[in-house]
Amino acid sequence: MSPDRAWLGRRLLLGVGQTAALVVLIFALTEALPGDAAVALAGDQPDPQRIALIRENLGLDRSAGERLLDWVGGLAHGDLGTSLVSGRPVADLLADGLGPTLVLAGVTATLLVPLSVGLGVLAARREGGPVDRTVSGLTAAVHAVPEFALGVLVITVFALRLGWVPPTAIGTGGDLWAHPDVLVLPVLVLLSRPVCTISRLVRAGMIDAMASPYAAHARRLGLTPTRVRWAHALPNALAPAGQQLARTCDWLLGGVIVVEALFVIPGLGTVLIDAVAARDIPVVQGLAVVFGVVTVVVNLGADLVTRRLAPRAEVAA
Amino acid sequence: MSERGKRGGPGSRRPVARRYALALGLIALPLLFAVFGPLFAGPAGARGVSFTGGQGHWLGTDFAGRDVWRQVLLGGRSVVLVAVAATGAAYLVAIPLGLAAALTRRTWLAEVLIRPLDVLLAVPSLLFVLLVAALFRPGPAELVLVVALVIVPDAARVVVSAATEIAARPVVEALRMQGESWWRTAVGYVARSMRRTLAADCGIRLAGALYLVATAAFLGVGVAPDASDWAVMVDRNRVGLFLQPWAVVVPAALIVALSMGTNLLFDAALQDPDERVGERL
Repeated sequence: MSPDRAWLGRRLLLGVGQTAALVVLIFALTEALPGDAAVALAGDQPDPQRIALIRENLGLDRSAGERLLDWVGGLAHGDLGTSLVSGRPVADLLADGLGPTLVLAGVTATLLVPLSVGLGVLAARREGGPVDRTVSGLTAAVHAVPEFALGVLVITVFALRLGWVPPTAIGTGGDLWAHPDVLVLPVLVLLSRPVCTISRLVRAGMIDAMASPYAAHARRLGLTPTRVRWAHALPNALAPAGQQLARTCDWLLGGVIVVEALFVIPGLGTVLIDAVAARDIPVVQGLAVVFGVVTVVVNLGADLVTRRLAPRAEVAA
Repeated sequence: MSERGKRGGPGSRRPVARRYALALGLIALPLLFAVFGPLFAGPAGARGVSFTGGQGHWLGTDFAGRDVWRQVLLGGRSVVLVAVAATGAAYLVAIPLGLAAALTRRTWLAEVLIRPLDVLLAVPSLLFVLLVAALFRPGPAELVLVVALVIVPDAARVVVSAATEIAARPVVEALRMQGESWWRTAVGYVARSMRRTLAADCGIRLAGALYLVATAAFLGVGVAPDASDWAVMVDRNRVGLFLQPWAVVVPAALIVALSMGTNLLFDAALQDPDERVGERL
């Protein structure tokens, strides 16, 4: 029990370290702005009033350490700062965009696991067979294709030529649940990359696991092939895939930002892109902290699950 | 823990050849456009009406009334150049870093070199690019640095794990006992021994860089709003998708083909029974 607890401690420590580093990094990037940050940020509209507003909002007249402490203190209380553009609290903007993004990410994540595990197990049934070759080739090809290029082609074919689904989410007002047909293409595009990587890892793991002595022994004991495959081989095959979940979270996040821009969905990604375009630094920082912390937490969860599935695998730390 | 299992026995030569053919077929067209396209683009013609077809423009005109065919010829170079340069720059940092961490006998030095990378791995890559974009408004050269920075942690990890394995071999011990210099051991033996693993990893990183560069350009990072760039074309001409789909479909298809071709090419190399590159990937 004790090595397990030591591992858990180290893993949690890494998570805390990652969060702290993330917060400092996000803060430090703003510090790295050349010259007077307020002038640099005002950029296209350098009128004195705006510069003064930025200076006051970011507290540029105080020392960097003081500001960092202030900012971190605010974060701990859920105060993410105030938008330079609209003057609204960042937390409010975040709450507005949260709904559509959660729906998008939730539906994708729900479909992702059964789809990729099913595809991986299917391909591993007969290694080198026609099904395996097709699935392996397709997943190898698609796994790094940019979502926007794939998405635009999918829109052209399925929305414009065939007219099966709407091309964008314009007109839904962000209420995606009420218009499930709007979700079809965005979720399809979002799934494209993670399904490929995870199913490849599941396939490789399944081939290894099915060829292992314990699988042979289970077969000798007279267990049905289905039981051997799903109950005995699969948990071991999932361990490497579980570690990939960390990377998947990164991809889903990037994917959500792109897909929201492409399908005009008013979610967090759109809020972020708008803030980047307007150089609304507090909003960008606040969203970066939220996205970063979500990534760290998901990674942590993925490692814990992996550890549970295959305790001998040395994950992280 | 070989994740490759016993894939691709001696009998699987033919499917691999077919994969190479498919990969080269996919990658050839976009790569030709990217490398030679600008030579054939010719001078910019007079601007016409936005989003029309015909009238001497066989792929129509784009959002600014420019000839789409000319934009397609010009638009590949930036994507490919930035991605290749970023991958190269990432290895320029990752290889010395990884070698130093793997070959040092001081544990604390290895920790100091490698732990920050574990932390950086937690930063979502596109988020990092956007964060930098919001603050610094990077151009293409700065985008190379940013993308390289995103790739370094992954690349360095691969270098460390490959170099650690090689550094534990008796040969390295013998080299040390003979009093060979660090440079001879590290560059002359360890770095040379892991070049195949690195070649395989390089493909993965290049595909990742292509993805990131194209996606960043689509979101308007590191490019001018009217740049001749396939990703920018997709973004800016989207509004005319109903009127003039070619201005979007052609560059999007070229990006997809480039990305798929790169992936398939390196995947075929990984599975090639004759080459056996990168055993542990």
